[in-house]
Amino acid sequence: MEEVSKHTFVLQQLRELFLAMGKATLFNLRFFRELFFPPTEWRETLKQCYLMGWKSLPLVSITGFIMGLVLTLQSRPTLVEFGAESWLPGMVGTSLIREIAPVVTALICAGKISSGIGAELGSMKVTEQIDAMEVSAVNPFKYLVVTRIVATTLMVPILVLFADLVGILGGFAGISIKGDISLISYATKVIESLDFIDIIPATIKSCFFGYFIGMIGCYQGFNASNGTESVGRAANSAVVIASLSIFIIDMLAVQITDLII
Amino acid sequence: MKDNTGYIWKLGMFVAVGLGILVVAIYLIGMQKNLFGSTFQLRTEFKSVSGLKVGNNVRFAGINIGTVDEIALLTDSSVMVYLVIKEDAKPFLRVTSKASIGSDGLMGDKVLTINPGLPNSALVKNGSKIASSEAIEMQDLIAGLKKSVDNAAVITDQLAGFTYKMNNGKGALSKLISDEQFSESIKGTILNLESSSEEFAKFTWKMNHGNGALSRLVSDTGFANSLDSTMTNLKTGSKGLSENMEAAKSNFLLKGYFNKKKREESKKQAEQIKQEELRQKKLKQKLKQPKLPKDSIG
Repeated sequence: MEEVSKHTFVLQQLRELFLAMGKATLFNLRFFRELFFPPTEWRETLKQCYLMGWKSLPLVSITGFIMGLVLTLQSRPTLVEFGAESWLPGMVGTSLIREIAPVVTALICAGKISSGIGAELGSMKVTEQIDAMEVSAVNPFKYLVVTRIVATTLMVPILVLFADLVGILGGFAGISIKGDISLISYATKVIESLDFIDIIPATIKSCFFGYFIGMIGCYQGFNASNGTESVGRAANSAVVIASLSIFIIDMLAVQITDLII
Repeated sequence: MKDNTGYIWKLGMFVAVGLGILVVAIYLIGMQKNLFGSTFQLRTEFKSVSGLKVGNNVRFAGINIGTVDEIALLTDSSVMVYLVIKEDAKPFLRVTSKASIGSDGLMGDKVLTINPGLPNSALVKNGSKIASSEAIEMQDLIAGLKKSVDNAAVITDQLAGFTYKMNNGKGALSKLISDEQFSESIKGTILNLESSSEEFAKFTWKMNHGNGALSRLVSDTGFANSLDSTMTNLKTGSKGLSENMEAAKSNFLLKGYFNKKKREESKKQAEQIKQEELRQKKLKQKLKQPKLPKDSIG
């Protein structure tokens, strides 16, 4: 009897998992359908871009600067031991641009933006504002979901570029604490160590990070069940799933980049 | 309306700066890879490129003047390497220039180095082929190093044997190092040598600067001339004496004495000849006797 109930439980869990995957797939397909068919909510998209891009810039910049500074200070002793201190700018630049800046920026955006979208849409759903929009002949999916996903997809790569720049400056600050190098020669060494393979895959990867951050936040908020506690749950699960998906995308991106080049 | 324009210009600035960073980064990287400057192409052929990759730097006189553009396998033993070189370097590259593959540091990337050609040879043109010298493979280097290490092992082994013998042996060199008596004796010899050399130095000084007979004999030409004339006088004197002696021999008073002396002398000579003949005879007899076997002796 007990065994049968366990069996049923596993099946139920599997069913729920597939159901969630199916719903997420439909949600994605609906996004692309709504994206390419007019009317387009330009004004709302720009507003979301401003809120997600411009408003996240200070947070991303501070984090990027600290990451560059810390990475330099932490790597320096090891490189000095090997007599390879001159490799420090190149190493910091490559690590920041290839990996650290995209992932850290995406994680910050997952925490700030994805949870914000999840909570906002969740509360709108709970307070039936979404239903009200439908009644007033406004497509809530187009107005709320498409605008936000487009905004995150466009803004996260730009935030990553800012984080790259500020992080490299942080690296310069880190080197200047103990060493003596001019900003121009530091920048020359960073550029010398870079290749298109460092910057282009990282930018494309950041677009995917942005897309998934917006998509997961919107999906969790849009599908919040009735009840105030589901708002918190939507925000929480948006952050958790978005963060996890960032690492998965990162791993896949590295594999694909290796295969292509 | 005021609000709207407020956030839109901020957004525009944000996007413009972000895209600007991307464009500048791409431009700088591209410039480093010679994508935007004016360039020309060169090619060179190697048997093996030793891990040289597309994008690796090309150096001339230690300066990066271009990059490796393409690497193509021609046959099973030749690889064609196409290079993109900055136009600025063109006036310095000649058709006799040679390309070689090196390494940027012990663990660094491979670098293609172009060595200057003969000063009178023609300058390269777009698409020119330059000669190459084969790269030193790491495995060859290690093989050479292994040989040196093996030799070093043999040398150290022999050195160990030598030092053991030096410490425990009884040869002269070993004694020189370990035997106190021997070293004392050598020390004494050296001291003696020192004092004798000092004496010799004094002697030679006196010889050169003194007024003694020997010194004058060596250095004084006047003395030598005087000695020479003395010798001549002596020669003349002895000739006179010999004539006197001949005269004395023919004098009737002394003739008997000289004749007697002559007879005694001829008698002595005849006796000596006799004894010599006897000795020769005895020796011949000895040689004629047969040799006895060794075993029979004793």
